[in-house]
Amino acid sequence: MTVINSDTATADFEGLVQPHRVHRRIYTDPAIFEMEMTRVFAASWCYVGHESEIPAPGDYRTTTLGLRPVLMTRARDGAVNVLLNRCTHRGTVLAAEASGCAKRFVCPYHGWTFAPDGQLVAIPFPADHAVEDRSTLSLGRLATASYRGFVFATLNAEPEPLDCWLGEAREAFDTIVDRHPGGDIGVMGSPHLLEFVGNWKLSWDNAADGLHATFAHESYNTLGEMVDTETVLARDPGSTPMVSKALRNGHMVVDQRPGIPQGPWATMRRVPFREPLETALVDAGEESLLDLATGSMINLSLFPNLLFVGNQLLVIEPVAVDRTRLQLWLTSAPSAPSEIDLLRLRVDEDFVNFGTPDDLDMFERVQRGLSIPEMEWIDMSRGLPDSDAADGDATIYGPITSEAPQRRYLAHYAKLMTTPAATRAR
Amino acid sequence: MTVAAARPPDGPSAEMSAAQAAVLARYDEMAALLVGMDDRPRADPGLTAEAAPALLHEARLLDAGRFEDWLEGWTSDAVLWLPLSARAHPGTDQSLLLDDRRRLAERVDWRREPSAWGQHPPSRTTRVVGSIEAWPAANGLVARSTLLIDEHRHGRHQALAGYQIHELVGDDLHRRTKILVVPALGTGVRNPSFLL
Ligand code: FES
Ligand SMILES: [Fe+2]
Repeated sequence: MTVINSDTATADFEGLVQPHRVHRRIYTDPAIFEMEMTRVFAASWCYVGHESEIPAPGDYRTTTLGLRPVLMTRARDGAVNVLLNRCTHRGTVLAAEASGCAKRFVCPYHGWTFAPDGQLVAIPFPADHAVEDRSTLSLGRLATASYRGFVFATLNAEPEPLDCWLGEAREAFDTIVDRHPGGDIGVMGSPHLLEFVGNWKLSWDNAADGLHATFAHESYNTLGEMVDTETVLARDPGSTPMVSKALRNGHMVVDQRPGIPQGPWATMRRVPFREPLETALVDAGEESLLDLATGSMINLSLFPNLLFVGNQLLVIEPVAVDRTRLQLWLTSAPSAPSEIDLLRLRVDEDFVNFGTPDDLDMFERVQRGLSIPEMEWIDMSRGLPDSDAADGDATIYGPITSEAPQRRYLAHYAKLMTTPAATRAR
Repeated sequence: MTVAAARPPDGPSAEMSAAQAAVLARYDEMAALLVGMDDRPRADPGLTAEAAPALLHEARLLDAGRFEDWLEGWTSDAVLWLPLSARAHPGTDQSLLLDDRRRLAERVDWRREPSAWGQHPPSRTTRVVGSIEAWPAANGLVARSTLLIDEHRHGRHQALAGYQIHELVGDDLHRRTKILVVPALGTGVRNPSFLL
């Protein structure tokens, strides 16, 4: 199928991302946004969904990748496919529901019928139809690969193998999965869908930002103080031994564990229905499992669309240059005592209610401030100079106040934007 | 998504503790209230007339930002639940919020906190309560009403619609259960922290 490899707009982009500052236009220019949807979102591995969401043949889930409607399906042979959710006749979106089960995808417009692996299996009134080789009319397919049950896909014509793309990020990824008994992690249905009037990169600038916890999340920390609980965000960012890591390919890690020697559960206020469930676990001698009810205390960000925060998967879905939808999925621990998932549900709501609104407000305020054309630059210089590693592949380590993770992901982003990879549907 | 009552999975502690059973019983009760709503017969006119002032009063307190007064009107075992869909269960699906009395009080504290940027400046809301219906329930009544909430904040505007289910008990018709269903939560809303 068609290969997109245009470099017409590249010249325009030069100089917008510098080592210590970035230009407002990368957050406000609709032409740049449009380029990003192909050069970043179509050309990178993106998280689509978790294998456990589609356990049986025919199960599917829909989402978007760089605005493109896509379909994750389980085929009859058990394989997971990521397909373009677009009929190959005239382009109709095939599956309109968020998820479901379908033996066949029948296009509502003229009845072309596709199998869950994307093959065109039937055309009504075939005698009238000139097509000789139906295999050329299969649904568009993305390169698909899984890591620990997490499904990633890309339209990159020659993608780096998923394992290499993850690189050093696999260490944190494994730690997050392996803390679940049996390495067994699931994803609950029905995500929170929160939108903000701002560019998608504002959530990236925030994801490894250890400094904002003190200021933007003051209200969350105050709620903790009221009941003598030192939340994970209430630590002095200047002296905490928490570590931030800027990885190759724009991935980022904030490891909060060194800063909370009492363990994750001690950082939580009393969520609703906590006591009976907690008591039940303590009585069963499984007190140590309580840490599972809250997050791993490792924030892992896989550029460009997946953040592990707490027990949530936060999927970043760009909608427009100044509009972003966040999908917040809650992970489960299927092989842990069932009290854990019951606690997770209430823990999950805690930050969504008393932390996330403050983040969303910051994002919208930044977008508004960036509308001023006379003020062109955003400062990203905290912690400079970066170690020599910045030019190579090695991880840059720093305190959580460093803006090295932001610089590194933006440098990777600029590389994607200025040396675009070819993209195609398979 | 689970429609029926939640049962714990066959995990290591599949034999449920009494404590867990009590939590699930409350969750099941709320889920049943939600799922069963569409099957209810025509409402009781007397109870409907009785419920209306309580619902309108609550809406007026919330629109006026009189959260402390609003907090008074809940029982000690109260739950406020905002599911993400009308088929959700509190024990198996994420909710926007599921507050017990303690977290309701925290929520009011949060709203008053000047650094709660998500509500400072606060949302200005106008609630329109309509289509009130009520039926008898143990020690009180169950009411369903539709709700339109118009919100202004930071010079922007959003209007959300949904319905609410109240379990009101005792002589003062205190809120024991409130479920607010806002379908837009399933497609994407901006900062929903004004929803109560
Ligand atoms: S557009 Fe799908 S069958 Fe015609
Ligand atoms: Fe934050």
